[in-house]
Amino acid sequence: MKILHSHHIPKKHGHTDVLPSCNCRAVYCPALFAFCYLAIVVVLLCTAVASDAAQLSVTDFRGKHITLQKPAKRIVCLIESALSGLYMLGVEQQVVGVSANIYNGSVNTWYAVLDDRIRQKQLPVPGNWDFVSLESVVALKPDLVIIWSQQSESIAALESRGIPVYGVLLTGWEDVYKEMRDLGVLTGREKRASEVVDYTQAEVGHIARRVANIPTTKRPGVYYMWAQGNLETSCGGSTVNDLITLAGGRNVCGSIKSEHLVANMEKVLGWNPDLIVMWYNERKNPGDVIADPQWQSIRAVKNRRVHEFPEHFLCDLWTLKFQFAVKTVAKWANPELFRDVDLKKEKQTMLFKLYGRKIQGM
Amino acid sequence: MLRPAPVIYYLLPFPVLLLSLFIGPGGGVAPADVLQALGHKLALSTLPTDSTLDMAAEVLFNIRLPRICLDFLVGGALAASGTALQAMVRNPLVSPDILGLSSGAAFGAALALTVGWLPLQPSAFFFGLLAAALSYLLAVNRRGLSIVSLVLAGIIIGGMFTALLTIVQIVNDPFKLQTIVHWTMGNLHNASWQRVRSAFLPITTGAAVLFAMRWRMNVLALGDEETRAVGLNPEREKLLLLIPATLAASAAVAVAGIIGMVGLVVPHMVRMLVGPDNTRTLPVSFVFGGTFLVLVDDLARAITTFEVPVGIFTTLIGGPFFIYLLKKSGAGFGETS
Amino acid sequence: MGLSVENLGFAYAGKTVLQDICFNAPLGKLTVLLGRNGCGKSTLLKVIAGILPLQTGCVLAAGQAIKALSGSERARLIGYLPQFHQTVFPFLVEDVVLTGRAAYVRATPSHRDIEMSRQAMETVGVEHLAGRPYTELSGGERQMVMVARVLAQNPQVILLDEPTAHLDLGNQQQLMRVLKLIVARGTTILAVLHDPNMAFLNADKIIFLNSGRITDPPENCCPWDPSFIESIYGISTVVLPYHDKAVIVPTS
Repeated sequence: MKILHSHHIPKKHGHTDVLPSCNCRAVYCPALFAFCYLAIVVVLLCTAVASDAAQLSVTDFRGKHITLQKPAKRIVCLIESALSGLYMLGVEQQVVGVSANIYNGSVNTWYAVLDDRIRQKQLPVPGNWDFVSLESVVALKPDLVIIWSQQSESIAALESRGIPVYGVLLTGWEDVYKEMRDLGVLTGREKRASEVVDYTQAEVGHIARRVANIPTTKRPGVYYMWAQGNLETSCGGSTVNDLITLAGGRNVCGSIKSEHLVANMEKVLGWNPDLIVMWYNERKNPGDVIADPQWQSIRAVKNRRVHEFPEHFLCDLWTLKFQFAVKTVAKWANPELFRDVDLKKEKQTMLFKLYGRKIQGM
Repeated sequence: MLRPAPVIYYLLPFPVLLLSLFIGPGGGVAPADVLQALGHKLALSTLPTDSTLDMAAEVLFNIRLPRICLDFLVGGALAASGTALQAMVRNPLVSPDILGLSSGAAFGAALALTVGWLPLQPSAFFFGLLAAALSYLLAVNRRGLSIVSLVLAGIIIGGMFTALLTIVQIVNDPFKLQTIVHWTMGNLHNASWQRVRSAFLPITTGAAVLFAMRWRMNVLALGDEETRAVGLNPEREKLLLLIPATLAASAAVAVAGIIGMVGLVVPHMVRMLVGPDNTRTLPVSFVFGGTFLVLVDDLARAITTFEVPVGIFTTLIGGPFFIYLLKKSGAGFGETS
Repeated sequence: MGLSVENLGFAYAGKTVLQDICFNAPLGKLTVLLGRNGCGKSTLLKVIAGILPLQTGCVLAAGQAIKALSGSERARLIGYLPQFHQTVFPFLVEDVVLTGRAAYVRATPSHRDIEMSRQAMETVGVEHLAGRPYTELSGGERQMVMVARVLAQNPQVILLDEPTAHLDLGNQQQLMRVLKLIVARGTTILAVLHDPNMAFLNADKIIFLNSGRITDPPENCCPWDPSFIESIYGISTVVLPYHDKAVIVPTS
């Protein structure tokens, strides 16, 4: 496998003549050279074929080794973010089962465009983040199941039936990259996986470089608001914190280490953020926060710098699309610096690069 | 006879409420600023333009004061409800939950959180009342309301709503689930004047009716036959207690989530302090329950940076305190003669 | 006046418990109702008191038909002391007695209500127990407190269901003395007693109930006539005269 990556077919032109040049063998030399060349090519092709016949092996987030004899052809994916990754890899036809939330909410519109089977509600749903119907999964005869690694009981039940399970636990961007690469291996689409991961890393790197020199004091204080409630936020050591920092902001509660906590209203007043970023929220708009009497004295509300992510699908922090979230927040946090960034264009470029022609025009 | 409770119980809330205004999370507003802001407000003078003083006034009047008011209303409603229901059921082991109204309200809140277009508090309030009404209708028959039937019906209806709640939890994603769990453990951190306004009318109306009924509770507590013998219709009296108690308790749960201990234990504490005569225990329960919750919430606000559901504190503090009172003076219940 | 019952009937779950009950408890007199267990004595009292519905017949208390009265109106006329009591909360005696005023109280008792309760306790002789928790009293004391409660109701007719059931001899006598005091003031009392001797010695009038019907002793016959007693209780007795009355003693 490694050979497949690192080998290169020697170009004819660059080939050095290792045979002693002999005038009398003017006819033999090119023939011998051609033969050697063909031999090398054949040997390499055989190796390549043999490598294909070698096992596809990854380590999942539980630390377990998963080995497949050939790329997965019947995948049951119970994680929506991982599923969007599979679509990026172009292996959607290998998906035979999905999680329930594909058919609900705003993501359904996107998947319906990406895949006729979802539009016609033909893809079976054997489970979701909490509940997995063992029977339904087994009936689909999967050769790979992708599921959250905390669902230990379901995983144990599936593995005891000999079904390979890839368990996922995402705590940061690096985990998203690893997930994509691993899925690339398991589906035989490593090249494509590299492509999209490298693309994302580059895009994020661009933004990171541009904000690297902004000192902490000059960064706007950002308060992140989850959809469950105004006081639900994420502090230091979380994906949200990475997002804010990468985008050139400063998480107002970054000094507290917590993935998710409920803040005290008085504390929020004390932090007095310059910018409020709301996760995609079906029930509330920035206008509702601006109108809330308890939030009036906060700088972000006074300056109307309260923004909401437009979509779950586009900005999903658990997929490679988080690059769009970074760009969006960067523009909100430092509008002057990122005046040149056209979010609409960025969105379309990203969707094309990740999903291909299918989502044009959304 | 009918001597009012020692005035001290009625005066108790005032210093507590005043002191509570000065309590907040560490590193926040300085007490001196609070005092100044308060002074200006009382003197009806305008604040000098000073950002720290502005902040103090903001915190005081828009965050702490509504929260303290809400604490008092909710604690009072739960305690008064508990007292009334214990008298009605003739059993000191009941709390406002016997009719399953907490489970109903929890289901209503979870449904609202899941569905999106349903407003949260009204939904919780409605389903709390629905659960209580279903329990009553299930238990009542031609011959009247049997207490045992009512308690059993409450267990069944409460169980059904809990099952429905579990279904809602399964359907939801992990974040919404967390919110639902938070809600069911008591959430006073979202206190605002809007919430105080929405809870004020049902709680004060319910409490007022219970206050008017406070002497009748004594009559009812002696038995159905005795009640009829002295000229009151026990079924009517039970409804006159049940409806306001459920109204107040539902409103309290809708606006603050499920806060344990207050409805069950505060009536006991009050009875140990002032005796079982309901003309005293009912008003004192309201005041005591409200003050208790204000105190517990003060503690919750002061010691943590982030919000911990207040239900945890009421149980961890109320429980041992109750045990101490129990050991010292005994609950003093007679068995059936 | 007093209490008069005409053609009262009561059936429960298809079974007839009382049939064609007609009697009169005279004003200002102690009338006692006697009969075997299960003959319907308690049921009769409950129907008159309004605890059970009046299905057939007519009851007049102090000249008024009770069917037309509301709960509190009826309670101002008729007081009822049930056989069994239940207590859970340790109410003070004075508060227990005060609950008897429920028919007169709007929201909370007035001074008059408190005064009537106090007088009732004095009449019965339990005012020294006023400040004690009801649950700490003995059976006899509790019964007296309950009588005071009925008295506080200030009714014109008082119904008592086996008031002497849990009392010792001394308390029994005390109770009978109190009852006589009450009738002397003009109240009509109808009491169910389990002990016929007590009735013979104290009652002004005795009514016998036998399997749901009023049974009178034959003409010119005393209520303690042995053959009559045998027809009621099913046991043979001998009569021992006492002043102008008598007591009966069962023979084995």
